[in-house]
Amino acid sequence: MKFINLAVAAAVTAGAGAAHATDIEFWYGNTGNVEVAIQDQCEAFNAAQSEHKVTCVGQGSYEVGMQKAIAAYRSGNAPVLIQFFDAGTLDLMLSDAVVPVQEILPEVDWDNYIAGARAYYETSDGRLFSQPYNSSTLLFYTNKTQLEEAGITQTPQTWEEIIAAARTLKDAGHACPFVTDGDTWRVLEQFSARHGLPIASNHNGYDGLDAEYLFNTTFAAEHLANLVEWREEGLVKLNADTQAGNYTAAFNAGECAMMEGSSGSYAASSEAFGDEYELTVGMAPMYEAYERHNTLVGGASIYVMKGHGEAEVEAAKAFLDFLRQPEQQMFFTAATGYVPVTNDVLGAIEASGEADAPKYATAAIGIESMNQPRTDDSRGIRLGFYVQFREVFMEETQKAFNGEQTMQVALDNAKSRGDELLRRFEQTYQGVTLP
Amino acid sequence: MSAASQALFANRWLPVLLVTPLALLIVVFFYVPIIQAFYWSFFLERPFGGGSIFVGWANFARVLADPQFWQAGRRTLLFMVVGSSLAVLIPLILAVAADRAIALSQPARNVLVWPKGVAGASIGVVFAFIFNPFVGILAPLNHWFPGIWNPGIDGTDAFITLIAAHVWGGIPFNFVILLAGLQSIPRTMHQAAAMDGAGPWRRIFDVQLPLIMPQIFLTLVLEFTESVTSAFALVDTMTQGGPGGATMLLVYKIYTDGFAGYDLSGAATQTAILMVFVILLTSAQFAFLGRRISYER
Repeated sequence: MKFINLAVAAAVTAGAGAAHATDIEFWYGNTGNVEVAIQDQCEAFNAAQSEHKVTCVGQGSYEVGMQKAIAAYRSGNAPVLIQFFDAGTLDLMLSDAVVPVQEILPEVDWDNYIAGARAYYETSDGRLFSQPYNSSTLLFYTNKTQLEEAGITQTPQTWEEIIAAARTLKDAGHACPFVTDGDTWRVLEQFSARHGLPIASNHNGYDGLDAEYLFNTTFAAEHLANLVEWREEGLVKLNADTQAGNYTAAFNAGECAMMEGSSGSYAASSEAFGDEYELTVGMAPMYEAYERHNTLVGGASIYVMKGHGEAEVEAAKAFLDFLRQPEQQMFFTAATGYVPVTNDVLGAIEASGEADAPKYATAAIGIESMNQPRTDDSRGIRLGFYVQFREVFMEETQKAFNGEQTMQVALDNAKSRGDELLRRFEQTYQGVTLP
Repeated sequence: MSAASQALFANRWLPVLLVTPLALLIVVFFYVPIIQAFYWSFFLERPFGGGSIFVGWANFARVLADPQFWQAGRRTLLFMVVGSSLAVLIPLILAVAADRAIALSQPARNVLVWPKGVAGASIGVVFAFIFNPFVGILAPLNHWFPGIWNPGIDGTDAFITLIAAHVWGGIPFNFVILLAGLQSIPRTMHQAAAMDGAGPWRRIFDVQLPLIMPQIFLTLVLEFTESVTSAFALVDTMTQGGPGGATMLLVYKIYTDGFAGYDLSGAATQTAILMVFVILLTSAQFAFLGRRISYER
């Protein structure tokens, strides 16, 4: 192994000496118009300079990207740059397979990133582990045209108002007033964060690996039980209840009137609505009795993987620098709806005179949502095997939605299965301290 | 036998040399991963490598104490028994029908083989569409009784969909094997039975079925082992184990644990258990069923 590394290093140095462009790979997981935007950025980078060349490889999904990265890293073929999603944060922090970006790019002004984005990806001593890339947060979408047809002129903002509006829509004959997919990120993580509720002890794992899940005892449990009731009443629909088979597709096709969804799907909705419907987007709804806190930064960030020669790391740094440029971030926001998370970009959007343009609609709202008052429980999620927990949570809550068990039983089961995952993670990483 | 084969090769090392490349391939792509899986099942393995901790039988204790594992095991067993039985029974009926000298039996023999060319994942995609609650063939049912059929919500519906797709995919191969068995029965047997006054039904049960027992046994053994593993493509394209884990078969659970959840040790342990189970199952079939079958004609 060592020999191979040496050989690779030698080959790379030789390449650099001959002043060839250094080829590096960047793996990402998005598809659709986000993938198009990523490829555009790669092309722009390659066109802007000749020293480095980045090849951007789509993996089809975040999960598959991570699977392949694990296999590639184990066999010594990992790419230099890879995009990982929020749920894998702790797995990567402890993996010993990545170099914190702040370590290899110490001269960058990382404080430029808004606190909400930093909190999710930084170590306990405040170093960013990865460079936020396609950042999103949970927003609330409505089909204003359909709401107005049903006589709702004021866009609902709280859960109470949403349900009142949903009843009005249902009475007006609308088959699908509100749609969600019941995804862990939407119904548990973002809900708990903005209502100031913990998901697990140790402030969602930030204070140590011996955390335990708590969500089954918080107000989130009540909200989830409400979702079950509202679904039975015909006010809330899940993926499989819709003809489109998917919540965003159902909303975009005009089948459903309201949706809780990622800011990253804004461009697709706006494109699909065209002139037929009017789209509104706002902060995710609160229960009236609760004070609003920040929503979490979702989406994904870019990590630098270990085991590469100096020239490749230089190329990786150049590409990261390129992506951080305000004009690149603005392009990406306009093309996708993902939210820019640096202060200078927000300033640049203001200065561009297009701040009110639809293409930047999610930027201001997304930032406002992520900049709400923070608590120790709304920094982010730092729990082990969290990707697997998301599956467990979905499986148990689906059983509650189809009536096999009550929501409380589902959440209790998810908690105990989740705690087992946490204990095994703790055991797997014995003697390792959180960075 | 051995004397004859030795005589074929002048050099006694030549046959070994000829076999080596293939043997090497089998070792690299079959035995090495299996050994790796067994090895990992005794360790707590970090996804990206680095530290791995020997834990003895702890992984097995954890998996065997996990109700999710047993539920997935029961679902796998149910899928195996129902799916395999139907995947043999239906082709058997079709084969018996196609074996009779009726007008459509020739075209039927051709048409029934076609699905063999369709990959598991494609079958999954097609059946997901066929059984879609809004646009599929059962959509009218939902029109009359709203909400009665929805594989995306109801676990039983999803399981039925999965079995239907599996059986459909298994028809061609089993049909060919069983039909070949039926065709190899000498016509004189039929004629003799007919002469003795046996009607078509009696001939099926007393002449045809006993004589194609080896073929039925073969298809059953293959179906049983295959249903454990080949359901993966169907589950992945149709249900991803949902809703609520209702179609989480062991083979898919191993995949999600290992690849989506990075629990390499748990996935390896379940692989080891599943492999031992399949080996035991096949041995049992040979020991108890195989011995009763007469291969003589």
